[in-house]
Amino acid sequence: MTQVMSNRMNELREVVAEVLEVEPEEITETSHFVDDHEADSLRAIEILARLEKMYKIEIPQTELPRMENLRAVYDVVKQYAGWQD
Amino acid sequence: MLEYADLTAILPHRHPILQVDRVLEVEPGRRIVAIKAVTGTEPCFAGLAEGLPQSAYAYPPALIVESLGQAGAALWLLSARATGETPEGTLVFGAARDFEFLGAAYPGDVLRHEVVVESLKPNSAVMRGETWVGERRIAVVGSMLAVARPDTELAAGPTG
Repeated sequence: MTQVMSNRMNELREVVAEVLEVEPEEITETSHFVDDHEADSLRAIEILARLEKMYKIEIPQTELPRMENLRAVYDVVKQYAGWQD
Repeated sequence: MLEYADLTAILPHRHPILQVDRVLEVEPGRRIVAIKAVTGTEPCFAGLAEGLPQSAYAYPPALIVESLGQAGAALWLLSARATGETPEGTLVFGAARDFEFLGAAYPGDVLRHEVVVESLKPNSAVMRGETWVGERRIAVVGSMLAVARPDTELAAGPTG
């Protein structure tokens, strides 16, 4: 993982941790938001709304089911923000 | 300006939980300014003991949240009406973050809510807002989330 990727991943981790009200260290790239961190559909919408604001992008709500862990969130944001790495 | 009767045509809430009296300004998709007058005859002050201090008559913070949230709901529904994208189902207050109470409101005060849109989608809305009493800002909310849920889903109970 490049430095840019790891910085972005940590930035996303902070957002997710704040919404899910857990410590950032508890969220790994593959820990499941619902099964491991007790997220529900409202939290998922909050995460999506924050990412949109932070990166000034639009993510369709149809992507919500895909955003089940940090890795998947990274991939979704990457797609809509047009990140090359 | 929207009066109380107009609000009953927009919001599903009714007496005594309809907590917005009048809309002073609205820019659909952007912001709303709405007021609620607090009086000594509010149901929340019924049956209080004699001889209580003034602090006992502070309008309950939970109702300030409700009132501010309803101003936001009115903004969402008026915005949706303007674009023809009416949310389907029932609006649910999903979350409020960074809520701060900076003061209190008492009978005789008028709450003035100023709510601004952060993001509007067909089935969810994120807003932030402030509540003022005259020149005093008494509450701030950094982020409020509301969602529209199908009535069938709500009738079935929580699904997580």
